[in-house]
Parts: sequence; structure tokens; C-alpha cells
Amino acid sequence: MEKFAPVTRSEDGQPVRYLIVDDSVFARKNLARMVETFGGQVVGEAGDGVSAISEYERLTPDIVLMDITMPQMEGIEAAEKIVRDHPSARIVMVSSVGYQENIVAALQRGARHFVQKPVKAEVLYEVIKYVMRDDGTTARGAGAGA
Amino acid sequence: MTLPPEDRMSELRQLFFETAAELVQKLNDEAMRLEKTPGDAETARSLRRTVHTLKGDAAACGFRELSELAHEFEDVLTLENPAAAALVPEIALRAADVFAALLESYQKGTKTPAIQTLRADIARLARPEAAGGGNVKAKKKKTAAKISRWSEYEQMAIARAIDKGKRVHHVIVQIDPQCAMPIAGRQMIQLALAGLGELLALYPLEGSHDPIIQVEAALVSEKPAEQIRAKCSIPTIGQSVRVTPLRVAASLFGTLPVSAGNSNSEKKSKATSPAAAGSTAKIADGLPEDLTAKDGPLVADAPAGPAVASGPDNVLRVDAERIDSVLNLVGELILAKSMLQQALIEFGQRFPKDALRGKFSDAMAFQGRVLNELQHSVMKIRMVPVDQLFRRFPRIVRDVGLQCGKDVELSIRGGQTDLDKSILDAIAEPLTHLVRNAVGHGIESAEERVRAGKRPQGTLRLGAYHQGNQVVIEVSDDGGGIDSEKVRQRALAKGLLKPEQAARLNENDTLELILQPGFSTAEEITELSGRGVGLDVVQSVLGRLKGTIQIETVRGRGTTFRMRLPLTLAIIRALMFRVEQRLYALPLNAVAEIARTLEENIHQVEHYDVLQLRDDLLPLLRLGSEPPGGIDGARRKAFVLVIKSGERKFGLVVDALEGEGELVIKALDDQSVTTDLVSGASILGDGRVVLILNMVALMERFTRGRADANGPKMAGLLSSLASLNTSEIATAAAQVRGTAGGQS
Repeated sequence: MEKFAPVTRSEDGQPVRYLIVDDSVFARKNLARMVETFGGQVVGEAGDGVSAISEYERLTPDIVLMDITMPQMEGIEAAEKIVRDHPSARIVMVSSVGYQENIVAALQRGARHFVQKPVKAEVLYEVIKYVMRDDGTTARGAGAGA
Repeated sequence: MTLPPEDRMSELRQLFFETAAELVQKLNDEAMRLEKTPGDAETARSLRRTVHTLKGDAAACGFRELSELAHEFEDVLTLENPAAAALVPEIALRAADVFAALLESYQKGTKTPAIQTLRADIARLARPEAAGGGNVKAKKKKTAAKISRWSEYEQMAIARAIDKGKRVHHVIVQIDPQCAMPIAGRQMIQLALAGLGELLALYPLEGSHDPIIQVEAALVSEKPAEQIRAKCSIPTIGQSVRVTPLRVAASLFGTLPVSAGNSNSEKKSKATSPAAAGSTAKIADGLPEDLTAKDGPLVADAPAGPAVASGPDNVLRVDAERIDSVLNLVGELILAKSMLQQALIEFGQRFPKDALRGKFSDAMAFQGRVLNELQHSVMKIRMVPVDQLFRRFPRIVRDVGLQCGKDVELSIRGGQTDLDKSILDAIAEPLTHLVRNAVGHGIESAEERVRAGKRPQGTLRLGAYHQGNQVVIEVSDDGGGIDSEKVRQRALAKGLLKPEQAARLNENDTLELILQPGFSTAEEITELSGRGVGLDVVQSVLGRLKGTIQIETVRGRGTTFRMRLPLTLAIIRALMFRVEQRLYALPLNAVAEIARTLEENIHQVEHYDVLQLRDDLLPLLRLGSEPPGGIDGARRKAFVLVIKSGERKFGLVVDALEGEGELVIKALDDQSVTTDLVSGASILGDGRVVLILNMVALMERFTRGRADANGPKMAGLLSSLASLNTSEIATAAAQVRGTAGGQS
């Protein structure tokens, strides 16, 4: 497995805290495994949009990895609701090519980024780095150029 | 979490198979729901979501055929082609079959099944309106990156901004050619730019149908070009970014920009997006290649259950073997408890007045209680709802119904009833046979039903419930019932029954003949239910599980097969008794009653022994040898265990009772015990060995002996065991660490 320089929070150097939202347990574990190799910490998981929102409120993670197609409430709606209450939320949509319009919609509603399924670790890594440094003013990512 | 990567990998892989099996089951369910309620949008969406998830998971695990097929299927589902909507359920069912076959081949490392037929089927779903449908992917690449024209309005806006002394940047972002979602990419770039300042223009426009090769924008921003560039170097999307200042003059007319002044246009962005290059060949790079190869046995035994899709709950997936080993240890503890109890009794006899005795027995009682709870908790872990098995049947009933042209409605009750996982696995096959049989042969054709004054649609009920220490599973149809006379004729014709036996068989015994090997009730052997195997698998599995079956039938009204199964295989509550000095045990719930009598009260009727028990004559089966003749024999005490199974009732004559207790069953190998009358052994606290009798074999001896007037006398059944060497059995039993569910 590839080695990744850990991505940390620029403000305090602590591990990035993730909330992973997907209705497939497998997909969640797969993503969890990846972000752990980036030095991240999975603080929570959710299987649908409704619990994604409540988990976000509870945990205020640094990054949410959000699937689009889910039961109860789809990822877009959940992303929108989270961002409406927490404009600083960093939500990365995770979805397949066929859902491009949905991703566009999610981005318009406040998602920060997207990755395509099947997720490749090195892609996700770059996306995470990008999203983490993406806080308006400070443009420094930790461990740049892995 | 400090598991080594390989462990996590196989764990993931196992998780994949478990969840994928669930998804396939879900696909089956949804397809059938869609078949019942055609055009139901919610079901269709849910079905698509299932295919989608399966695709994603398979791709992440590197299972290409599966992910591609699912992908194709999902694509055509997304089309929502109205002309083909009616085909969706059928093809979804076929897809479920192929997916299941693929999964199995991945899991076992065998050759993958043919998938062309399904491919063609899937393609069929897209066809009726195919020509140039909305699904064509923008794969054609235009190489020339043409610079767009700003609209007049935009040009004015740009000019005005520049006039006001603002810095206007001309930004061109090349879209990574590997980017599979350029539209979303465009949106990302738009977002990134909008976050930096005021966007005056952005091309291509939203909703444009041109392939997106680059995004071009006019941005008002006081941020340095370097920062704009960094912001637009979006991984997997923005490949190279050019940021140049826009100047006034030329901008007023015609095309823009002429002034691509800044020569250090960006090459460096390559470094920030290494993903762009050369990594597409491998799917899901995080996973090692050998993921697709078989790596060791996969135990898919752990309760797969409702964990799937139920969100972040506290569900652990545990290898069933680990639970078994805990259960074994609990078994050993129970053994230790009875040893202690034995010692305590001896202690009490030796020092009847010692105060320590009370303390010991208090502690023992406490320990016993905890142990009991511990045992139950562990057993509970092994329990899974029967729904896991029942879920398969809607599909089976539908398929069998279609094949024999019958409309059958399946109703399921008691799906939440818990049952030991190993038992559930074991009854899957017999239950399938019973269900197929009920649909294929039990339920009549629609015409026949109408003629008999019934609804044309047949009903099949599948039910489960707890009854005492047992689980009852019922398969019941509202078909024509079983004609016991026909059964008798056929059994005679097949040589399963001798004419003189036939006359003696009661209704119930006759019905059970259909469970005999080589018996098939249907006139013709259908591919479905017959298969030459028949229902004898039911009998043999139940025998192994210490379960029983009862058949109830009413001519013209239907048939019910009622299976009774123990909750678990590992520990039984047993009644222990002695026959010729040897200790035996029977499952307590098989014994309906115990009668005490003298030998002289046992009479001979025809060729077997009977006991007058209240108003009934109870036929008897002697486990030991005949009593000696004369007055001694006649005054000898005997105990009769009344065994009741379904409608059948008989008595077992034993010498003495030893009490009841919980026995941890140890399997015996064939070398130690050669008779099928003994199904296992257990060791008591004092080290004595108990042989556990096989109810089904006993029952079968009873039926056979009864029907056969010239057969051997039904006595001394266990006499052959008298010569067994107990210590050998003890060693054997101790060595065979009775795996839960472990009868050979």
C-alpha cells in the first residue's frame, strides 16, 4: 500500500476528523481504511442523510465524505442542510460518473468537492489536501507534494 | 486499530461478500415488488440504488465483471425507458442470479459464469427508444482548445470593471482528460473562482452540451494570480491553469483576450495532481491485486443480518467459529460445575455438620446462576432470525409458480423468530424442497381450484414460532391435500412397503412414507420439486438435527408440514436413565410423560408389548433385554418413558431413571459407536459417560418393527451397546471437542 504523508489540520496540527456517510457498510469501511492511511481519524459514520445531519451536529467533523444515493434522505439534501447551518462544513461528495448532474447540484448547494467511485486512495488524498487547505485565506497544505 | 493491512484486507473482502449477498437478496425483493406494482417509482429508485451500491462495492474490491455489469444495468435503469419498463423486473431477477453466481465464483476462486445473456438482456432495456438516447457519454475529444467569445454584455462588464481600476483576470483551466465528470468539474472551478472574487463570465455555460475541455473565465479579484492558480489546481479536475490579466483596449470589441501576456503559464500544476497520470489501469489502487484471488477459506457464517444498510449501529461481525469456541468453553464450564456439585455432595456426606458446606453451596448456587446466564447469552449470539432464510422464498415461489403455470401467493409469518445459525443453515435445503413441493404438487392448477370452488390463486404459508425449547417451522398450502390411499399404493408399487405392512399403517405413518427415499408423489417428476431426490432430504436433515416432522393433510383443503427443531444443537436438556447398567439420555422435550409400572402389567398384543396407560394402549419399545420369566421377572420394576412425536406415541421401557440435566453434546466418531441409535455422548460431572439416543432412529425402528409382523422382536435394542468400552468413549468424547452443531 502506498505511503501518504499525514494530512493534518492547519490550525492545530491535529489529525483530520472525518464523518463518512454511505448506505453501504462496505463503502464506508473502504473509505475509512483510506483516510486512516492519510493519518485521518474517522469519528463517525452514517448510513443515510438524516443520521448524517445529526452525526454532523454531534461531532462537527473536519470533513464529511458523503454518498449521493442513499435511502431516506439523499446526499445532496443532507449536504445542503448541513451547509445551511454550518457554512464552514467541508463536504466531499462521493459518487459515480452517472450522477454528474447530482454532483453539480450538490456543489451548487454547498458541497466543497467530489470524488468519483470507485474511489482511488491517491485521488482522495489530493482532494482532502485541497479541501483542507481551502479555507479562504491560508493556502498551505500540510505535507504537500507527497 | 492496529491490524496488519492483510488482515484488514481479508476482513474487508469478507465484509464485501456479506454485504453483496444482502444486496443481491435486496435486488430480488425489489424486483419482485416491482413486478407486483409495476411502475412504482419508489421501488424502481430503490432497485436502482441497490444496483448502484453493488456496482460501487464491487468496483472498490476490484471485481470487474460484476461492477461493469451492474454499471451497465444501472445506466439503463437511469434511462427509465418507458417502453422497456415492463421488462425491468424480469431482467433484474436474472441479473440477481448472475450477480449471485459471480459472487460465488469470486468467493470460491472458480471460473466466472457466462454473462453475455445478461448483457444482451440489459441492452434490450435501452433499445426501444435507443437512437441517440441521452446516455451517450461525451468521450469524443476535441483537441483544439478554442477560446470562447465573451458575449457583448460580458465584454461591457469586463470593460467597466477595468475602467473602475479593478484587476480582472483571464483564467483558463484545462480539464484533466481523465476526469470522468467534466460537468461537475466545471462546477467545481466555478465555485473555486466565485470564492476568490466576482465572476464576470464563465464558459462553457452551465447546461451546455459541448464536451468540456477547458473552462475559461473572467474574474474580478484582488487576489494574486498565484493564489488563483492554486485554487484552480483542483485534484483530478484542473490540470493546468493559466491566469493572465485582462486589459482594456482590445476588450471592447471582438474577441478576447489578445493579451496572453504572462509567459510563465503553468506547467507545475501537474505536480499537484499526480492522479491524472497513469493510474487508471488499476482499479481501486488501495487494494492489493490478490484481493480477487482466493485467499484462504472465507467464513460467511457470521450473522450477516440486518446490519446492512442500517446505518452506523453497534453491530459487530464475528466469525461464527469464534462464537462456537466460546460456546465450547461454556460447555466445559458446565461440566466443571457438575464436577464441583458432585464434590460438594461427597463433602456433605463426609462432614454433614461442617459450616463450610453451606458456604460452598451458596457459592455454587450463585455460580450456577451466572453460568446459566452466560450460556444463554452465548447461545443468543448464535441466534439469527429465520427471516434470513425465509427471505429467499418469495423468489422461489414465484419461479416455481411461473414454471408450472400457477399463481401462488406466499405469506410469511414469524420471520423474527430466532434460531441457531447452524440449524438455520441446515434446514435451508429441506425447507426449499418442501416449498417447491407445495407449489409444484400441493397447490392445484387454477382450473382445478375453480372447479373445487376455491380462489384461483393458491396460498402458501410459511411460518415460524417458538414452542417451549423448540422452534416450529410450518409450510402450509391450501392445495388438494395428500391422498393417503395413493401414497399407500405408490409405496407398494415402489416396494417401499410390504402388503402386510400396508394394512397396519395408520394415516400418519402412511403420510410419512412420502419422506422416504425414492418416493415421489407427483405423477411425473418435474424438474422443480422432484429432481429424483424427493423429500427424503427432509427426513435425513431432521434426523441430524434431532428435529421431527409432522404432516397434516385434509383432502381438498391443503397440507401442512410442521417441523420441530431444537433451538440449538450444542446443549440439550436431557432426561437420563439406565438400561442394563449403562447411562443414556433423551432430549427432555421428547418425553411427554413418565410412567412407573411392574413388568407384569406389560402385555403382549400381537407381536409387540403394550402397556395400559389410563384409557390408551401404549405400544412399547424395549431398550433392554426381555425380563427373565417367572415371578421375579414379573415383579421387576420398570419405567416407561412416553415419547410423543406428532400424533405418534409410544413407550420406551428402561430400567431406572437417573434424573435430568443439561448435557453438552460431544460428537462421536463412527469408530466408537457403530449404531445409528446413538447420536452423541456427554460426560457428567462425576466422569460418567452418557450416550445420547437418536430420537429419529428410535422412532424409525418403532414404525418399522410395528408394521412388520414377522420382524425381530422390539427388545434389546441397546443390548449391543452393553459391550461398549466406556472409557474409550470417554476419551473419544473428550477429544472430539463437540463443535456446536457438531453431530456427524
